[in-house]
Amino acid sequence: MLEVANISHQYANRSHWLRRIPPTPVLNNISFTLEKGCCLGLLGMSGAGKSTLGNIILGLEKPTQGQILFEGQDLYRVNTPTRHRIRRDLQVVFQDCYSAVNPLMTAAQIIGEPLDNYEKLTSVQHKQRVKQLLEQVGLRAEDGNKRPHQFSGGQLQRINIARAIALNPKLIVLDESVSSLDMVNQMQILSLLAELKKTHQLSYLFVTHDIRAAMTICDRVMVIDQGELVYQDDMHQSMMQSNHPAVQKLIAAILPEHPSERIVFDHQV
Amino acid sequence: MTAGTDHVLEVEHLQVQLKSNAGLIPLLEPLRFKLQKGRILGIVGESGSGKSLTCHAILRLLQPRQMEWSGTVRLNGRDLGTLSDKEMRTIRGKEIGSIMQNPMNAFTPVYTIGSQFVETLRTHTRISKQQAIQQAIEALASMNLPDPHKLLKKYPFQISGGMLQRVMIAISMCLKPPLLIADEPTTALDVVNQLQVLRELDRLRYECGTSIVLVSHDLGVISQLADEVVVMYKGQIVEQGEVAQIFDQPQHEYTQMLLRSRPTAIIDRLSSSTPIEL
Repeated sequence: MLEVANISHQYANRSHWLRRIPPTPVLNNISFTLEKGCCLGLLGMSGAGKSTLGNIILGLEKPTQGQILFEGQDLYRVNTPTRHRIRRDLQVVFQDCYSAVNPLMTAAQIIGEPLDNYEKLTSVQHKQRVKQLLEQVGLRAEDGNKRPHQFSGGQLQRINIARAIALNPKLIVLDESVSSLDMVNQMQILSLLAELKKTHQLSYLFVTHDIRAAMTICDRVMVIDQGELVYQDDMHQSMMQSNHPAVQKLIAAILPEHPSERIVFDHQV
Repeated sequence: MTAGTDHVLEVEHLQVQLKSNAGLIPLLEPLRFKLQKGRILGIVGESGSGKSLTCHAILRLLQPRQMEWSGTVRLNGRDLGTLSDKEMRTIRGKEIGSIMQNPMNAFTPVYTIGSQFVETLRTHTRISKQQAIQQAIEALASMNLPDPHKLLKKYPFQISGGMLQRVMIAISMCLKPPLLIADEPTTALDVVNQLQVLRELDRLRYECGTSIVLVSHDLGVISQLADEVVVMYKGQIVEQGEVAQIFDQPQHEYTQMLLRSRPTAIIDRLSSSTPIEL
């Protein structure tokens, strides 16, 4: 469904007229495919280029090289109406739920905005659909009248998810969507996402630095480090055996589930 | 100092109420806990359960216009409630170090790391600027931060969150406070940085004998570092005890729910491969 082919990307640096600063490379020759109904975890440390790759796939940032093929169409080479059509199948949920919504709009307006843009619904149908969406993500219909500051982080992230699924998209990019929530909320949102994936046959690109979260929801994982794809597989088990230093670092940083399994620090020996 | 107490921190009947038009709204029900020298107390609870509020109350950083608080907080036997604001300022930093969740907000962006580091050291200890710089460089180097000299000349926004958090711990290490309050120290960091910060916190405890109040909603962080755990729920302590006891025999249903929401999948997967080493 989604094919990422040889993507390389650089960020241009502002140069002085006497001294040219070379652009900073962020992604180097990344290729992978994502099938329908699959959740692909994109792991890496901060600054590895995870979010940049996510933005490129969403069509927010034109890559310096390479192609993004969504159902066979190159996202950056199609004409505007086609792109408009493709965009409805690509949605996103960001990490910071508060800055992802307009604080002046009510929850119902936030969720209804994509419907206004893409679907011609009567006001009754519109209301009906928003109500249905709110209920799907575990909120009450009355919550539609509240504004973002009246919600907790977990509830607001549910609203972001409701907005993302409003148009029945095919792919949702989850860019650190659960990282800022507390554990209980994280697990609730993850199980909601897993359920929605089943009922809507969604695909996810789950961008995260937390292996524990990735393992609870992903079917496949990839690891990128300094713009390079260093690991890609569908079985978590073999990730443990991968000997790439970046992968090992991530694995070694998994915190224990129980005090008896503590990581031994070198100053203790 | 009162004789006979080996507790660094004693909190008794600590209660915080919010002043509002409708009267006083209780935010923290009377809390009671103690912490011994060199031990780490983990405070867990969901967002909004009063974890950070407890930290602020211990540091006496609550806004008196908005909040009313009562109860006693004793540091090495000394009642912090009876101190003047001026005395309290000398205690913060020197005797109670604190590390906040967002290191970006804890530094001012308009001064270099070095000048903020030196300022903090010289406020609390009588040393020359040169000595302070020397100490800062040593502390940063011991924190495994590369190029301490260059780092001191940088501004907070030029370095990553993980590095800033380690700079914060380095400052605490120089002042060697008997108590450190770490309010969600790793929440804003990625897992690799998180582990590094936890390692340095543990080293601070080993080398300086600092007691640490570690606030976190991540049970992984708690199980890695804490000796004792306090579980908070809706402004109350619902459970407290040794870390193993809380993990093995959780009594309160909220604790049980917290433990259930751990991603357990990983454990089965890890058990089949080699154990993790550093």
